[in-house]
Amino acid sequence: MFEITDATGGYGKTRIIRSVSMSVKTGEVVALLGRNGVGKTTLLKYIMGLIDVFGGQVSLDGAPLPASTARRARAGLGYVPQGRYVFPRLTVTENIAAAAIGCGLGRKEAVERALANFPILRDKAEALAGSLSGGQQQILAIARALATRPRVLMLDEPSEGVQPSIVDEIAGILMAMKDEATLSIIIAEQNLDFCLSLAERAYVMAGGTIAREVTRDELIGDRELLHDLLGV
Amino acid sequence: MELDYLATVLLSSLSSASVLLIATVGLAIVFGLMGVINLAHGEFIMFGAYVALFATRNGVPFPLAVVLASVVTALFGAIVERAIIRHLYGRILDTLLATWGLSLVLYQSAVLIFGTVTPGVGMPQSNIEIGNYTLSTYLLFLILVAVVLIGLLYWLLTRTGYGIVARAAIQDPQTAATIGIESGRINTATFALGSGLAGFAGAILLPAFPATPSMGFAFVIKAFLAVVAAGPVTLSGTVVAGGALGSIASMTASFYTTVMGDVVFFLATITILRIFPLGISARWRLKL
Repeated sequence: MFEITDATGGYGKTRIIRSVSMSVKTGEVVALLGRNGVGKTTLLKYIMGLIDVFGGQVSLDGAPLPASTARRARAGLGYVPQGRYVFPRLTVTENIAAAAIGCGLGRKEAVERALANFPILRDKAEALAGSLSGGQQQILAIARALATRPRVLMLDEPSEGVQPSIVDEIAGILMAMKDEATLSIIIAEQNLDFCLSLAERAYVMAGGTIAREVTRDELIGDRELLHDLLGV
Repeated sequence: MELDYLATVLLSSLSSASVLLIATVGLAIVFGLMGVINLAHGEFIMFGAYVALFATRNGVPFPLAVVLASVVTALFGAIVERAIIRHLYGRILDTLLATWGLSLVLYQSAVLIFGTVTPGVGMPQSNIEIGNYTLSTYLLFLILVAVVLIGLLYWLLTRTGYGIVARAAIQDPQTAATIGIESGRINTATFALGSGLAGFAGAILLPAFPATPSMGFAFVIKAFLAVVAAGPVTLSGTVVAGGALGSIASMTASFYTTVMGDVVFFLATITILRIFPLGISARWRLKL
């Protein structure tokens, strides 16, 4: 079980998220929904230890995670940031290898596994990551995060700026990972169709807090909620 | 123009370019790759030269003294990074002032300890005859040193786990942290690597350029200009920019005067930066 308890954090003295609590079971896919600026990205950054923490804690199987971002990654948190942030002057292979090395894993095996799981990257294995298309970079960012062998994978707007065929491919990849039932996944998204195809449950954020927790069926059936909170 | 003269000028120019590259690669790592303006780079070269000089004067064979100088300067660089540089990442002006202050301390310390003139290492000098002209064998050997050094450095930074992680951490420390990379340790190691290369330069150049407190100053300005002209693809850019600028300046000096050689060096740098404001490698699709 992955838990966030009473998370309060922000930038400098500004609090962006307040008293956020949520949990994700092993093998579960949970969506984090809400309009722009409600704090989805900030919450994911809080979980990764990338912003100032004013209170709360993040724990995995009941054990609190260390404060350092790098240590959290080594403890089992994988993160695909909004905007991909691949290392542009590293090749595709090197991007994956860097993640494996960072978490003390074998780089050769990690690269072989990633290229087997993401065939779209095979032809570009020795290309600089900065030369890839946005969609290819997104897939590389997911492959890189998975190379750390995470127990919890967090994806921030994975479908943003990506062509529909690649979005479908990403959904397929995440679906396959979901079927393995060993990885918990949190997806922060505004693309509702993408989320509903993967997540069983969603936390809806508003004003830096969790406004509601809903199942997929409740969300699909609640047009007012869809309209009010998501603007769709 | 006679063929032997032309061959001598070409080899001499290549040798000068190699000397510049040997003195520059450390800065290419620290300034080009890490973005740290280390104004004490010249004094790190001087530091390595004095370590090698001290070692040889105490009976250490010269090749071992070069290794020792590289390691000691690398350790000194690691201490400097931990004590000074790491507190100033992202603060360019503060880094510039701090490393300038460090350069003054190192320079004055060398003057106080060793004086302004120091005897050389006393290695036997040999020359190679090319027709009517002669060239120092050691200066030609430095061409080989430069080639091997750059080859090794390229291998280290592109083929080893450290190199891949270092380039990732330097390109984007925050993202690197999200995949488990401790940027702090990597930065210390990389600054130490750059410092060690400066120490290596001071030591390996010692038979041709005797150790003096101000010896680093002779290299550091041209080294900075070569790295700036190189642009974002640090190592390949530095090889091309440093090699071209060093060769052009040396050839000019051969035909005219040393001063004219320096003038041409600076004019060529200005011209390169007018044509390529971000450096010659701004559009290169290379990793390093």
